[in-house]
Amino acid sequence: MAHSQTDVAVTAAVAVVACGAAASGAPTAVMIVLGIALFAAPGYLLSQLLLSARIAGLERVAVATGLALCVPILGGVLLNAAGVPLHRPAWLGLIAGLTLVGDVAVFVRRRVGRAAPFTWRPRRIRLAPWHAAAFAAAVLVAAGGLGLARVGAAIQPQPGFTQLWLSTRYAKDHIAQLGVTNDQGSATRYRLVLLRNSHVSETWNLTLADGQTWQRTVPFSANDKLAANLYRPPDLTHPYRYVATYSTTAPRS
Amino acid sequence: MTVAGESVGRQPAMSGGRGDATRAPAARSRMSVSVVALIAATGVLVVAAAYTAGRLGHASAPWADRMYWLGQSLILAPVAARLFSRRALTPGETLTLIVILTVAEYLVKVCYSPTSFTYVDELMHWRTTADILQTGKLFTVNNLLPISPYYPGLEEVTSALASITGLSIFPCGLIVAGVAHLMFVCVLYVLFRHVSGSHRIAGIAVLVYASSSLFQSFDSMFVYQTLAVPFLGLTVLAVWRLASPKTVGNRVGWFTVAVLSALATVVTHHVTSYLLVATLEVTTLGSLLAGDRASAAWASLLALVSAAAFAAWIVFVAPSTVGYLQPAVQGALDGVRTLLTGGHSSAPPPTSAASGPLGNRVLAGVAVLTMSALLPIGWWQVWRRYRRQSWVVALAIGSVSWYFIVAVRLAVADGSELAGRASTFVFVPAAFIAALAVYRLIGSALRWRFISSALRWRAPAVVAAAVVGALVLVFDGLANGWPPYWERLPGPYQVAGVERSVGPEQLASANWALAALGPGNRIATDIGDMSVLGSYGDQTPILDVSSLYISPTFTTAAAQRVQTESVGFVLVDRRLSEQLPASGQYFSDDPQAGHYTHPLPLAGLTKFDHVPGVARIYDSGNIVIYNLLGSQYYGS
Repeated sequence: MAHSQTDVAVTAAVAVVACGAAASGAPTAVMIVLGIALFAAPGYLLSQLLLSARIAGLERVAVATGLALCVPILGGVLLNAAGVPLHRPAWLGLIAGLTLVGDVAVFVRRRVGRAAPFTWRPRRIRLAPWHAAAFAAAVLVAAGGLGLARVGAAIQPQPGFTQLWLSTRYAKDHIAQLGVTNDQGSATRYRLVLLRNSHVSETWNLTLADGQTWQRTVPFSANDKLAANLYRPPDLTHPYRYVATYSTTAPRS
Repeated sequence: MTVAGESVGRQPAMSGGRGDATRAPAARSRMSVSVVALIAATGVLVVAAAYTAGRLGHASAPWADRMYWLGQSLILAPVAARLFSRRALTPGETLTLIVILTVAEYLVKVCYSPTSFTYVDELMHWRTTADILQTGKLFTVNNLLPISPYYPGLEEVTSALASITGLSIFPCGLIVAGVAHLMFVCVLYVLFRHVSGSHRIAGIAVLVYASSSLFQSFDSMFVYQTLAVPFLGLTVLAVWRLASPKTVGNRVGWFTVAVLSALATVVTHHVTSYLLVATLEVTTLGSLLAGDRASAAWASLLALVSAAAFAAWIVFVAPSTVGYLQPAVQGALDGVRTLLTGGHSSAPPPTSAASGPLGNRVLAGVAVLTMSALLPIGWWQVWRRYRRQSWVVALAIGSVSWYFIVAVRLAVADGSELAGRASTFVFVPAAFIAALAVYRLIGSALRWRFISSALRWRAPAVVAAAVVGALVLVFDGLANGWPPYWERLPGPYQVAGVERSVGPEQLASANWALAALGPGNRIATDIGDMSVLGSYGDQTPILDVSSLYISPTFTTAAAQRVQTESVGFVLVDRRLSEQLPASGQYFSDDPQAGHYTHPLPLAGLTKFDHVPGVARIYDSGNIVIYNLLGSQYYGS
C-alpha cells in the first residue's frame, strides 16, 4: 500500500484520537486542533469519493469545505429526528463515525482500482524570501489590528452601575430574593435598608468588590409590603437605588 | 474558452484590437500580491485604530471618520489596481487578491465587535445556538426570531464545533461565519472563472460584487444567510459541472454534491432556498435561449429537487415560514404595485441612504448611475461574444434584477432595507455583467490612439480611473450599508441605536431577567434594549408598546395595551428621556418614527412607580424593571 493510503490513515487517526482526547478530558487547546481537523476530515473523504482526481486546487477545497459543513447540518437533523441529544458524544460519534466509514469506502475503492491513490505532490511555489517576509508581516499587522480592536473594547470607558433587585419569583412560597451587584469598577460601600410595611426591618452595611454579588432570601407574609433602599455612604439620605414589591397573593382591587 | 485579452502568461492584460501597443508582452507588476497583502493588513490596522478612537470618545470626530475611510482605501485600492492593471496577473495571484480582499474586510467586521456579538441578528442566532447547546435539541423556542430554530444549519455547525472544541459560541460563530463567507467568495470566483474563461474577469467580478451594500457586514455576520449562500453557490457550481461536456463519467459525484448542497441550503435558510430554486430556473431559461439542452436539463432537475426539498421542509418542519415571509413579500408587492400604477408609497425610513448625509446620497447616486451604465455595455458584450453560452446568457437575464432593486430602493417604503437584503443575490449576475463591461472599457481605452501613443505614461491614468470607479462602488456599499452612518464607528452608548445600544448595563439587566424571572416572559421594552433582552435574557420582547411610554400618566389606552398584549413586565431605560433616538425610532413598532423632536418625557418613564399593584423589582440606575403580573391591568 506504501503511501497510497496515507490520507486514509491520517483521517482515521484524527477520528480516533479526537474521540480519545474528548473522552479523557483533553484541554481546550488540544481539542481546538483536533476538533477542526475532525471537522474537515469527512469533507475531504467525501470529496475523494465524489470528485474526479482532475478537480484540483480551489474548486476541490471549496467542495470539500462545503461537504464538511453538510455533515453536521444534515446529520444533526437526522440525529435529532432519532431522538439523540445533540451534545458532544453525538457530534463526535456522527463526525468521527462518518470519517471512519469514509475511510473504509475510500480504502476499498482504491483497492479495487476505482479511485486514484493518494499522492502528495504539492506544486513548488517559488516564493522569494522578501515576498514571504511581506506575507508574514501582513499576518502580524492584521493580528495587531485585531489585538488593537480588542484592547480598545477592553479599555472603552463605561459608566459604572449597581444592580439592586427584590423579586418574588417564588411568591407562592412567600420568599423574595433581595440582591445587590457592584459593577462600579471598584470596591464600593453600601447601606441596604429593608422596609416591611414602611418600617425598617433590617439593615446591612456592605462592602462589595467590583463584580461581587450579595444576596439574601427574605420571607414575607401575604399582607407584607416590602421595599429596599440602597444608599452609598456618606449620603444616607437619598436612596441610590430602590425597589419595592408586594404580595402577589394579595387580593386584587 | 479564453477571452481576448486574457492575461495569461505573457499575454497583455487588457487588450482588444489588432496591432496596438497593448499586444506587447505584459510585464510583471512592481506591486506584488505580497505587498498588496501587507498594505491591506495595514488598512485593517488603521480601521481598528479608528474604531478604538471611536470607543475612546471620538466617534463623532471627522478625523476618526477619515481614518476609517483611509483604512478602507488601503484595503481596496491596491487590490483594484492589480486587477485592473495591464500588467501580467496569474490565476494564483488573482485568487490571492480576492482572498486578501475578503479576509481583510472580514477582519474589519470582527474589529467592530471583537469580544462578543452585538448586532441584533447575530444575537438572535446566538440564542438558538445556546438553546441547542443547553437542551441538545433542535427546533427550540426563540422569542426574538421565532423562525430561526426551524432553519438550524448555522446553529448546528456552530454548536457542533463548540461542543467538540470546548470553545464558546462567539469564537465558533466567527470561525463558521468567516469560513462560510470565504467559501462563498471562492465558489463565486470559480463559477465566474468557468463561465467567462478568464481569471481576471472573475477577479473583477468579485471586486464589483464586494460593492454590494452587505458584503462587508451582513453577508459575513453570524446569521443563517451567511452559511446558506455558499451552499447555493456550490449547488450552482455542481450544476455547471454536470452540464459540462468534460464531466463525462463523474456525474454521480457531482449530482450527489448538488443534492447535498441543496438540502443544506434548505435546512439553513428560507429565502436562500427560494432563491436557489429561482437561480436554477433562470439558468434553465438562459440555457434554453442559448440552445444548451444539457444545461437546461440539469438545472431544471436540480430546481425540481430543491423545490421539492424546500416544500417538504416547510410542510413537515417549518410551516411558520409562510406566515413569517408573507408580510415582507406582501409589503414589497404592494410597494411595487403602487410604483407600477404611478403612485409613490410612503417615504423610506430615516435610516435609509435617502435621508443620510449629503455625501452618502451623492455616493449612492453616482454608484447607481455607474452600475446602470455598465450593465448595458456588459449586455452588449454578451451579445457580441457570449450569446451562445447558456450560463452567460442566464447571468445577463439575472442582472436585469439590479434595475428592479434600484426601483425598489428609490420608490418603495422601506425600500432601502429590501434592496439591501436582495443585493446579496442580485449582485451575483450584475457584478459579472458589469465586470465584462469594465474589462471591455479598459481594453478599449488602452487602444485609443491618445493612450496607446504613450502607453507607458498614459495607461496608468486609465487604471487609476478604473480604481476610482471601483472605490466609488465599494464605498457606496460601505457608506449606505451596515453599520449605518450614525454608528460607523463604535462608541459610547446611544439611545435606540443598534450595536452602540449594547452595553454592560443592558447585558447585566438581561442576564438578571433570565436568572430571576426565567425565560419567555412578555416584556415591554424599547428598541435599544430589545435585542439583548430577547437573546441573552431569553425573554419575549413586545414590539408595539410606544403607548406605554409616551404619556406622562398611565392612561386607559396603556392599560388596554397591557391587557391585550399580556405585558407581564416593563423595562424602562431612563436614557430615553435624555437623547433623541439614533435610529429615528424609540420602539421597534413606532408610529412616531422619524418625527421625534424631543426626547421622551421623564414622567412617561417613571409613572410606573405610581401605578397601583405594579412592583419595581429591579433598578440599575438607568434601567428599571417593573412587574405588572400582580396589577389589576394584567390579564384582567
